[in-house]
Amino acid sequence: MVNDYRISDLMTCVIADMLRDGETVFHGVSSQMPMVAMHLAKQLHAPNLVHLNIPGGVNPSSIKKASYSSAGADLVEEGEAYFGLDEIFDLSMRGKLDVAFLGGIQFDRHGNINASVIGDYDKPKVRLPGGAGSAVLIPTAKKAVIWRTKHDPRTFVEQVDFVTTRGNLWKIVTPLCVFVFRNGQLELDTIHPHTTIEEVQEQTGFPLIYHEIRYTKAPTKEQLQTLKRIDPYDYRSAEF
Amino acid sequence: MKKQTTIQTAVSEVNDYATLALGGNVLHRAPMAFVRELARQKKSHLRLVKTAGAHDIDLLCATGTVDTVDAGFVSYETLYGLPPHYRKAVQSGKVKTNEHACYTVISALRAASTNVPFMPVNGLKFGDLIERNDYFVVVEDPFTGEPVTLVRAIVPDVAVIHVQECDEEGNAIIHGPKYEDVLMSRAAKKVMITTEQIISRYKLKQQRERIDIPGFLVDKIIHVPKGAHPTSCYQKYDVDDRALKNFLSLKERREIEKFIDQYQQQDHAVGGRAVRW
Repeated sequence: MVNDYRISDLMTCVIADMLRDGETVFHGVSSQMPMVAMHLAKQLHAPNLVHLNIPGGVNPSSIKKASYSSAGADLVEEGEAYFGLDEIFDLSMRGKLDVAFLGGIQFDRHGNINASVIGDYDKPKVRLPGGAGSAVLIPTAKKAVIWRTKHDPRTFVEQVDFVTTRGNLWKIVTPLCVFVFRNGQLELDTIHPHTTIEEVQEQTGFPLIYHEIRYTKAPTKEQLQTLKRIDPYDYRSAEF
Repeated sequence: MKKQTTIQTAVSEVNDYATLALGGNVLHRAPMAFVRELARQKKSHLRLVKTAGAHDIDLLCATGTVDTVDAGFVSYETLYGLPPHYRKAVQSGKVKTNEHACYTVISALRAASTNVPFMPVNGLKFGDLIERNDYFVVVEDPFTGEPVTLVRAIVPDVAVIHVQECDEEGNAIIHGPKYEDVLMSRAAKKVMITTEQIISRYKLKQQRERIDIPGFLVDKIIHVPKGAHPTSCYQKYDVDDRALKNFLSLKERREIEKFIDQYQQQDHAVGGRAVRW
């Protein structure tokens, strides 16, 4: 607990603040946090944001039933139209998807993303779930945003074991900071108010790149109140 | 031709080494009754195709039924975590994963549905997946000279799709999200439908514009209420939280077989007797 908000609240608000009104935004499976963030943005500053998801519900009016899944039928039931996954991919391929939220397990300073294996690809030490749509969405969405609820030297490494993909990576949001991918490298954008640059460095497996230390904006009262209303069962904290 | 059959008969027609496309997505509308029967009949060396799988792929890896998985993502969702049996099988080298980018599974099925050997995929431009996998290849676009990535067609021997309702001819309606199921029905050599309900053709005709899979594409119809259990089936039932957690707590092969046995009565029940009209 930090002040009157938790890290999951902060991360959700940081993600929401990245989204602009009118943008077309996609999230996949196991993506409760960005799903809530998209709704928060829609409620506050981006009413015309277009929410796309795997089951195909365009702009679901509520996400309250998405208890264990961000890929379930409730998103279609609450949606205003049906637009399936194949069509979302096609949309991104022709350059019309503004933002895609994707996961990953390991990231390096060059903006490479690993969601495939730890160790060798053919005989892996750890088989990860796989990149899902990342390998085609990160290169084609205008802005790819990664969120990861873990920040340690095994997650942020000098060189990933396997490059599942790279491309139009824009930002990575963690419990400690926000990275921005700029000039071919992962730079520190902001650090969260509850941490220090020393802690972020200690938990990152490569030397941090930054010109000055900037702090992440804390959630506003309005954001926190809205979160309680649109996400009463706290799905945004599912990964914590 | 009588298409309606039992799950035992339908599964007995699946050969070892067959390529199966499984309908549904992660924890939703997976054809679990069919999947369990594959394990009961000790099928082996299967190749599974799906954009994102969970309990179905995990169970078949636990029972040694699978050789290869072609998928973009294999995991339960956040609440249930990673698929232990799939991981173990891949890490020990028993199962080979052909990791796709979800869209490349779709593209490979699109290639199959239109009977071309491969499909160009925009978007798959960087990374080790292209280099390490032989089902992707980068060639020169013969028109522009630019590089373009191709994915090899995947032609499933059988598409197994669980639906809420169909008629005696197999005209099937999927309520809620359809995921890749409609495409699978066009790409596969054979289509087997498991269904919550069989509706008379006259009644279904009133909803003809909602039919996702026309009956002439369907080879087998199996009436299996709760056929997606313990995954969800929209408008019928939600995920069975206890059953999934129970499965995820099992380690031994014997325990898994017992878990599958517990479903036997349910999986075999309705399909076993003729449905009168």
